[in-house]
Amino acid sequence: MIAEETLIKELKQKESQAKAFEVLVNTYKERLYWHIRRIVLDHDDADDVLQNTFIKVYRNIEGFKGESKLYSWLYRIATNESLTFLKQKSKKAGISDEELKNRMVENLQSDVYFEGDEIQLKLQKALATLPDKQKLVFTMKYFQEMKYGDISEALETSVGALKASYHLAVKKIESYLKEN
Amino acid sequence: MFWSQIKDMKKDKENSFNTPEGYFENFHERLMARMEKEAQTESVIPKSDGFAIPEGYLDRVTPKIMSKTVKESGKVIQLKSYRKFYYSAAAAAAVFVLVFGINWKSTPTVAFDDLANAEIDAYFESNELDINTYELAELVSLDNVELNDVLEQDLNAENILEYLDETIDDIDELNIDYSDYE
Repeated sequence: MIAEETLIKELKQKESQAKAFEVLVNTYKERLYWHIRRIVLDHDDADDVLQNTFIKVYRNIEGFKGESKLYSWLYRIATNESLTFLKQKSKKAGISDEELKNRMVENLQSDVYFEGDEIQLKLQKALATLPDKQKLVFTMKYFQEMKYGDISEALETSVGALKASYHLAVKKIESYLKEN
Repeated sequence: MFWSQIKDMKKDKENSFNTPEGYFENFHERLMARMEKEAQTESVIPKSDGFAIPEGYLDRVTPKIMSKTVKESGKVIQLKSYRKFYYSAAAAAAVFVLVFGINWKSTPTVAFDDLANAEIDAYFESNELDINTYELAELVSLDNVELNDVLEQDLNAENILEYLDETIDDIDELNIDYSDYE
């Protein structure tokens, strides 16, 4: 795999940009897709947001100063794009964010790209009750198996706060699953 | 007398609680074992979340992204190939102007003022504009903006005093040069 520094350099040079951008897309598309999918839940929405994320990355690559790691910058853009997408969706539908989250989970039952059974559906219902940040930390740690250090860079939150968030999220989900 | 009493109390206190032999020596091992056991019992949360992905999606998405980014910005429009159409296009435009140009005064033109404020508000609310506060500051000249234009409530002396009263704990924080008021 190409070194991150080299990739960034090539992304900023006109003559190597196209090739380097393709490498970037191929390297990160799957990880970012799953990150986005777990926020927006629907495949078509995840596809839209993933494409928008890479378009934003391409337009702003010149401004990437390298103060954080490339992947954490990508995760940050993907997270912001996903949350903005949901905000716009609830505004367009004229419903609250909570109502939208409930509808998204209800829609999963008829989603052909959701193969979960009752317990997975319950898990999504439990996740919908969590604050955005807690849900993000939980899915990044539990399903994407990211390290706290990496999540910390992506979400710009201290490792200590992330651990507390994760612990709280696990307790809430467990008690939701046991009670329902 | 007093100190000897305290000493006796301390002695009592020391003797009143005991720990099993070797309790602190293997505490760490036992704690780790318990945490591991707890982690295993967290199985009430499923290991998979049940999401699936259409077959071949990840292969198809790269060309889509590339066509909207690299290929979009690198697209070169060949002007030469359109040269032969210039004359016919100019002729068509002339006919268009002749036919529709005569009545141009009678067709109402839509001006910016015709847009209802509600429509403009709705546009700004439903469209995320990629403008940060610095860019906005560059776009909007401060000379043309009164502070009261952007505030929901008109700024008057009463509001300012009320704000300061509610938010400032220490008047020294304001760094007021009192000599100005003397």
